[in-house]
Amino acid sequence: MMSALNSNDLQHKSEIDPYGFKHGDDFDYATYDEFMSQYLGVLARRASKWNQLLDGISRLKKSRKVKRYVRKGIPNELRGQVWMCVSKADKLMEENPGLYQRLLSEPLDPDAQSEIDTDLHRTFPENIYFGNDSPNGKRSSLRNVLTAFAQHNPDIGYCQGMNYVVAMMLIVVKDEEKSFFLFEQLTKRILVGYYSRDLKGLKVDQEVLGELVRLKEPAVSTHMEKEQVPWSIPTTKWFVCLYLDVLPIETTLRVWDCLFYEGSKIIFRVALSLVLQNAEAILNSASFPQIVEAFKHFASPQKHIDCHNFMQKVFQDSQPLKMATITKLREEFNKKI
Amino acid sequence: MAGTNINGVVRSTSVTGEFYDFACKVMLIGDSGVGKTCLLVRFKDGAFLSGSFISTVGIDFRNKIVDVEGTKVKLQIWDTAGQERFRSVTHAYYRDAHALLLLFDVTNRHSFENIRAWVSEIHEYAKDDVVVMLLGNKCDMTSERCVKREEAEKLAKDNKIPYMETSAKSGLNVDLAFVAVAKDLQMKKTRRPNDPKFSVLEYVDQQKQVPSKCC
Repeated sequence: MMSALNSNDLQHKSEIDPYGFKHGDDFDYATYDEFMSQYLGVLARRASKWNQLLDGISRLKKSRKVKRYVRKGIPNELRGQVWMCVSKADKLMEENPGLYQRLLSEPLDPDAQSEIDTDLHRTFPENIYFGNDSPNGKRSSLRNVLTAFAQHNPDIGYCQGMNYVVAMMLIVVKDEEKSFFLFEQLTKRILVGYYSRDLKGLKVDQEVLGELVRLKEPAVSTHMEKEQVPWSIPTTKWFVCLYLDVLPIETTLRVWDCLFYEGSKIIFRVALSLVLQNAEAILNSASFPQIVEAFKHFASPQKHIDCHNFMQKVFQDSQPLKMATITKLREEFNKKI
Repeated sequence: MAGTNINGVVRSTSVTGEFYDFACKVMLIGDSGVGKTCLLVRFKDGAFLSGSFISTVGIDFRNKIVDVEGTKVKLQIWDTAGQERFRSVTHAYYRDAHALLLLFDVTNRHSFENIRAWVSEIHEYAKDDVVVMLLGNKCDMTSERCVKREEAEKLAKDNKIPYMETSAKSGLNVDLAFVAVAKDLQMKKTRRPNDPKFSVLEYVDQQKQVPSKCC
């Protein structure tokens, strides 16, 4: 089996990445090439391990071993299938035959439809699947999934940021209906309330992150408070876009691998790791705008190209992080907000 | 490191090492898709927005220093998501803003009709002396226009705020919108008691270009 990135994609100075994104003018080819030269070996090894793991079994069951495998990265050609399985989106789909098609046949509230349509041409216009003139375009699929979701969840409707997340799912999962159920599972089981009209789940989790930072690195939290920078400023995009356009695509997908397996804890682990690794840069920023600038600088798709190393650090930096701690903090902030 | 400028004002240094005399916060607000980020990128980089992530999620900001008659004014420009549910994240920053650039899209009637609601948000959350400017963006798209200049002018007049039409695509009036804000701040900071009062409304009316119908 081929490794996650096939040889055509790895031509030196290829302008298009394996997911159809054109590299920007500021893309650092030197760093990327250097990283890829050693990561290819990792990918090949992981692909062979995964093939052994899946050989002869009909359904992947969760186990310590599978969790470890997921943390080390799901090969690209298995990614969609494994996401569907470990998130249990495939079960949800099995239990609801015909639901997706039925939702699409019903007319959507015109306001929600117009909100969706406003963002369609603004989603990945430089990606080969989403650009204006893409022959095999996924833009209509994106419209369908967002429309079906809004139809199925009138209390949520459409929230900006969903466009990017669903578009990325379509690129990886390559199927509308599966992407719909994966997104359903994400919003119902993993990140509850993130996209709701009052964004309550998001706001609660931003406060929870603030508290976790206070526990791990009190100086940073004191500094943020002193300069009156709320966590919502740097982290709204982090949490709503699930690190898309905050980390490079490959690194983001490695985060999503763990997110679908382990749940919302991963969102915090990544955020904590970013903050802890860059505590000095935050502390050295003397004012509100400088702090915001620092966050933009260290949480940028030009950084953290080495996804393998990034994920290893994520799990080292935020150790230990108990789900019970998060649950307790969520309960506290739920009452306050 | 600090020095003084030609007006005798003590200068500060920005993160990038540039000198400036005053800093002010400007916020871009208005419905989703009216062109807030495009306007900012046109002003900041002189280019039309490109890339893969076009619609803004949450809140973002960029700096630009403009020169107003020898005074360097650092504009700290906050760009916000237009969707209603994100307003609870963004309106907390209205109170610190020196100026609010309120945009609608001249080709989108709904975005114009929502201006009244935006104005009441401003009254609720911004400080009383905030400079507000109404901008009708995308004025290059003449064939798709569905908001007349006269009605926008009337709405602006009713609210005692300046109005001009902008195009992030062609650049029409984009610099003026930001420079007028910088000038207002510069005048507030350096005006001597006997100097005539600066009116941002009059300034914009004198300086703005009216889009030609033919393009």
